[in-house]
Amino acid sequence: MTVDPEVLFVANQPRLFRYFLRAVGQIETARDLTQDVFVRVSRTAVPQVPDGEVRAWLFRIARNLALDHHRRHQRQPLPVALAVDAGRPPSQEVDAAVNEALATLSDLDRDVFLMREMAGLGYDEIARVCDLTPDAVRSRIHRARLELRAQLATPIATRRTIPMRHSGREP
Amino acid sequence: MNMNDTHEVISAFLDDEPFDPSALAAALSDPEGRAQLIDLIALRHVTQPGREAIAAMQPKRRSGLRALLAAAAMVVALVGGYAIGQRQSESGRSEAPPATSVLEAPAAWQRLPSGGQ
Repeated sequence: MTVDPEVLFVANQPRLFRYFLRAVGQIETARDLTQDVFVRVSRTAVPQVPDGEVRAWLFRIARNLALDHHRRHQRQPLPVALAVDAGRPPSQEVDAAVNEALATLSDLDRDVFLMREMAGLGYDEIARVCDLTPDAVRSRIHRARLELRAQLATPIATRRTIPMRHSGREP
Repeated sequence: MNMNDTHEVISAFLDDEPFDPSALAAALSDPEGRAQLIDLIALRHVTQPGREAIAAMQPKRRSGLRALLAAAAMVVALVGGYAIGQRQSESGRSEAPPATSVLEAPAAWQRLPSGGQ
């Protein structure tokens, strides 16, 4: 069965955008990189493989684009000092704190975490994208979470006082 | 195996991945394991991008406005066309045609043969 590149892209666009949004920390750049994935996909023959593997193929392209972006920009954009803008709304402060915390993770741990939390990929898919075993993915995700938990203790403590859903969606 | 390893099962549980129920039970029997479970769910909420950011992905929806503008343009064209047509038809029938003169042949009039015959 032939996979239409446009159908594949449209089905995964929100996941790609969310992944890029946290990977690069800027809305405009995330939008551009999401579009770049489409350009690349439309120029290439989509591999004739099962669904889960097609998504892994798509995210491998996305990951390479994110890594290229970081190499070009020397990982400058992510950290934003919280003290710089005291008038910033609380949600933006949390956003900036999350970006700062993510920037302290290794590239691989951050990507593994983002592919799970932002893109909703399963451990098997992430393993294919990053050339790891599913067990290694589980270890890295848990390690990344513990590091982020330590760095984001304040917003986490605040969030614990509000009803939550297991999925992370707002109740 | 350190504490992080024993508690990895919590991440597998959160991510809806296969996990060993006895390992989860062991992890949750530890107060730190229970705290991790709650904190990691809170972390999931904290790290989600805001609604504004997600909305920024969508191209601005102009289709509704575009349809409205197209309908408005159609109405203007129809009303304008009708008004112009009315005006032209009114100006067309304002003047009566000139009077027709009828000439009658005199009684002495004769038809001559053609070709000089």
